[in-house]
Order: sequence, then C-alpha cells, then structure tokens
Amino acid sequence: MSDLISTIQRTLEEGADLVLGWTRSATAGVAVPVRFYDSAEAEAAVFDSTCVHNLAVHLPRLKDRTVGIVAKGCDVRSIVELIAEREVARERVKIIAVPCPGVIDVKKVWRCFGYGKKCEDAGGQVAMEGKTAAREEILLAKCRGCRDVTPVIFDQAVGDAESLSAPAPAAEPAGLRERFRAMSPAERRGFWREQFSRCIRCNACREACPMCFCRDVCTMQTRDPHWAGGEIDAAEAQMAQQIRVSHLAGRCTGCEECERACPVGIPLMLLLEEQNEAVAALFGYRAGTDPAARPPLLTFDNNKDSWGER
Amino acid sequence: MKFIITEKIPELLESLSNAGQEVWAPQVVRDTVNTVLFAPWIPGADISFDMFTSISAKELVLPATEKLFSFRYRSENDLEAIEIESGEEPQARPILLFGARACDAAALGALDALFNGEPGGAFNDPAYRARRGALTVITLACTSCDTACFCSSFGEGPAEKSGSDIFLYPTEGGYLAEALTDKGKEIVGQQPFEDSCATAPPLVETARVDLTDIASRLRDGFADIDLWEQVAERCLSCGYCTYSCPTCHCFNIFDEMRFDREGERLRGWDACMFHQYTEETSGHNPRPRVAHRYRNRLSHKFWYYPENQGAFLCTGCGRCIRGCPGNLDIREAIAAVQQRHAGDARNGGR
Repeated sequence: MSDLISTIQRTLEEGADLVLGWTRSATAGVAVPVRFYDSAEAEAAVFDSTCVHNLAVHLPRLKDRTVGIVAKGCDVRSIVELIAEREVARERVKIIAVPCPGVIDVKKVWRCFGYGKKCEDAGGQVAMEGKTAAREEILLAKCRGCRDVTPVIFDQAVGDAESLSAPAPAAEPAGLRERFRAMSPAERRGFWREQFSRCIRCNACREACPMCFCRDVCTMQTRDPHWAGGEIDAAEAQMAQQIRVSHLAGRCTGCEECERACPVGIPLMLLLEEQNEAVAALFGYRAGTDPAARPPLLTFDNNKDSWGER
Repeated sequence: MKFIITEKIPELLESLSNAGQEVWAPQVVRDTVNTVLFAPWIPGADISFDMFTSISAKELVLPATEKLFSFRYRSENDLEAIEIESGEEPQARPILLFGARACDAAALGALDALFNGEPGGAFNDPAYRARRGALTVITLACTSCDTACFCSSFGEGPAEKSGSDIFLYPTEGGYLAEALTDKGKEIVGQQPFEDSCATAPPLVETARVDLTDIASRLRDGFADIDLWEQVAERCLSCGYCTYSCPTCHCFNIFDEMRFDREGERLRGWDACMFHQYTEETSGHNPRPRVAHRYRNRLSHKFWYYPENQGAFLCTGCGRCIRGCPGNLDIREAIAAVQQRHAGDARNGGR
C-alpha cells in the first residue's frame, strides 16, 4: 500500500483539495469509501478486490473542488464520460489509476458466507474468517472479461505500467443473461413485470450511478413533467426505470453500480447492456472511451433542434 | 412451552392458509443470489431462515402505496365541482407473518404509537388499525446474528417480545413455541404443536451502540455542520435505508389521474433522504445537502421521536448497514456524535 499512500499524498501536495479513496472499516468487513484531506489521513488508504464502489459518483457532487480519485479501469471510464459530457472539468480531477485484480461481489459473498464477514484479499484468494474462496469465483459479473483493465487516462499510476494491463479474468459462465437474450418480446415483458414488482423505488440505482447527475430534478420523481406516477408498483417502477435507462443511452459505461446498489436484486444491467450494444451499433459510440468525444445525446442543438416539448 | 418439529412447519402454514390467513414468510427471490424478501407463501415454497430480508415487513401495515379516495371532476371548467368517493370503512385481510425477527416485531410498537391510537383520539389511522388488527406475527428468536445486528442496544434486544404473537426458539429438531397473545395461544393450541417441557436456548448477544444521552448530544451537535458533512460523506442520498427500515414511516400524499377527469388520492412511502422531501413550492429547500438530510434521519430516530414517544425509533435490525450502497454505518454515525461530545479532535473546515 505504500505506493498508493505516497501517490495520494503527492496528489494532495500538488493541489488536490481532497482525494477519494478507500480505507478499512472496523465494522464493514470490506473497504469503505473515504475522503482524504491530508497526508496523515492518507496513511489509512487501501486498495484491493474489496474496493467495489465506483467513486466517480462523487465527482459531480464536488464540482467546486479539485478532487483526486483512486480509480479502477472501469471507474476511469465513468470519469472520462463525465469529462466528455462537460460535467467534470479535466483539470479539476486528478486520477490515480490502480492495477485492479477485479472486485468481488460482496452481496454474493456475504449472502453465502454471512453478512459482514471480514474479506481479505491475499494474492488471488479471498479469506473470510475461516473460509477462503478463489477471487476468480466471486468477482462481480462486470469483472469477468473486463475490457477496462488499462485505464483510458490517468494522472498518476500506482505500481508499474505493466500491472495496468494485466489479462482480464475469464468470461462469466452462461446464466440469466443467456436466458434473457433468448426470450421473445412478450416473455421479456413478463420477465420485467415480475422483476419490477419487487422495486421499492428507493432510487439507489440512480444515486449510485455516476452518470445520473441530474440529482434533484430527475424525471424518475418529478411531477412536472409527470412521466412516471408516484405509485410504488411494478408498472410505475418500470416506467421510471425505463426513463433512467433511456437517459443513459450513450452514457452508461457498464460499471454495474446500479445493479450492485439494488436491494431487491433486479438485474438492471440486462437493460443497459442491450442499450449499450445498440448505441455502439447505431452510433459507433462506447461511453467513456474518449474524453474529447461528443456523446450521442449531446448532439442535440438547443438553438436549432426541437422535439416539440416546452 | 409448545414444540413443533421442523418438518411440520409447512403443514402448520398450510392449515393457517386454509383457514383464511394470507401467509408471508422470508423467501429467496428467484434468479438472484440469495436476495431474501418477505413474500406471500404458497404451499411447497422454501422458507429462508439463513439470511436476513433486505426489506422489513412494514408494508403489511403501511403499504408502499394505498388509495385514500377517488375523485372526479364533474365539469372541465369548474374545478370546484368534484365528486369524492371515499369507499367503505377500511378493511384488511388477515395476514400471518411467519419468521419475522424480534427487531421486526418490536418495530410494530414504534409504528403503533403513531398510527394505532383509539378511535376518536390522536394518532388514529383507521386503515392502519384495520391492517394491524388483522396481522399475526410469529417471530423466530435469534440464536445467532451477523455483524450488522445491534438490537442488544435496545430494550430486551433479541428477547424483546413486543409486537410478536408467538416466539419460536430454534432447538434440536424443531422449534419451541411461546404464545404471547390470545391469537398466539389459539395457534399453538392446535396441531401440529405438541407439549414440551424443554427450556428455551440462550439468545444471541449482538453488537451494541453507546446511546448515553444521545438526544442531548444530537441537540448539542445540531449546528455543527462539519460534523454532519463528515458523517454523511459516504451517503449517496438514496432512499434504501428509510424504505428498508422497519420503523421509518414517513409518507407522501399525492394525486394520480386515471382518466381525463378522474383520479385517485394516494398515500405512499416517502424518504427524508430524498431532496424532494423538504423541497418547498418556492424552490427553497431547508435541507439542501445530504448532511442536513442525514442529520434529520438520525435525529428523528434518536432525539425527536424519543422526546415525543419515550422510545427510540430504531430496533437495531441493521438493514440500513447491510444494504447501504455507500457502506454508511449508522453505528459509526452515532459514535461520531458521541465522540464530538467527548471532545475528540476532529478535522474542521471542510
């Protein structure tokens, strides 16, 4: 960790107001997000496969600061997309790239081994109070076949450059994704109605999403415009989510935070992955791969174009 | 004490179900990795006692959305000409909640204080009363816990029996049953329960939080916004903690149109962690930042509600800890308030 700590300290010395990173918690069993404001605090920094959160979600909320951020390859893609969307200024964010071995599916681990079991990663084996699991077997789905091992951009790198281009873990075995893709439109409709019947509309999906930066004026909740009703039921929950998903066209980088945050296990990435593929096919655009790119949704010209809504 | 062997549990639930009770029990959601929720049970379905449910059972007494009345505008031009159809007296179907935990059941007491008052008096919510009266709770006593549990901080902790009709203690081959109410006695008096002279196993001891003088310490720290900024820095401002919480009960009342001139007035869950919760028509928001909102949530649970009702608005179920996407731990927040009182040096000026 000494390299990570000194890199964070250097970033603070070079003018960052704070650095977003991870530390150990006495109670959580995994690394928890934290803000480092000075060198002494940075001594507590850690990075391993239990650093699951995408800290880029905090950047649009800290626009008035110069923010250092410890970032995995996939997190960097969110930062790149935020820059492309002009939501975050490149010079206000100092990216500390870390070599990522893949992060674990904490829910899966805890639901199998007991909540809060201290997870410690030691060279490919994750130890949990008396039990161990091969890291490869308990990774988040996004980490399998990861395409973001090498960060698109960064200001500082922890470790040597070679470690930032390690091979990605093997692809995920066949499961729900394959079944979903084989469904007819009618079957999919039934599938989603069942999934959204569990939704409690806590909006954790939205709040955990780095690209959902509309914050307090989100149409998932507004009365004006009133696209989704206020009922907490399958129909309105699905409507609200369809709105969120379609607003993420060409913006979702596939970080999977919405699915990780969902307390009732709705497989939101099935929707987003389909859309991401469609955007790639139609516009040749993959979100978060080029900070100078113009995202498809930003090609609308307020001065010339109109969609007939006030 | 009565005893029921594990294999007879489905038989018990089936007979209660046949007698007209809608049975709810913790079950693993299909296609998920051990996501467990309270859900209507049908014969043959597996019940999951190993994992904690992500969402509490409060929807059985406080539905996520409920209709208060329907309305219809008689004329397009006259907004005063409204017909209101309020429906009949609130009725509720009998529900049996099987496999709640002591923290779930005890939370009903906190809600009762606000909604279950006698007719004609304060805090009388007829719809809530109807549902509460039709609810039977069979609680599974906890002989183990996880690291998020902290019910030992409150009342009798794992042995808290308020809100439960029957307490089930896991034991060799089955469960010892202690009936706590008339409803409970009626159930354990029937097959497949048998008499037993066994004694209940010791219950678990969970983590504790220091709640010494917490209300006055929250009051002292109220204006220390740096403290709250720090406490809430991991909070993403979603509504998971409040919606999963067995004691959070804030609601919103709103209208939804069904046709051009017909609509419904609804009551549904609301969350103090949402920006919209305190947003005023003018656009002003007295709780503009996450720090303000989290301060309110904590203060309501450990200061305002206790001041009004004489009890904490928390039973230590730990859901807000287990499921928080930002890994915020309410126990650490309480500890931070306590440490401020103890005069620990903190970093200011953030």
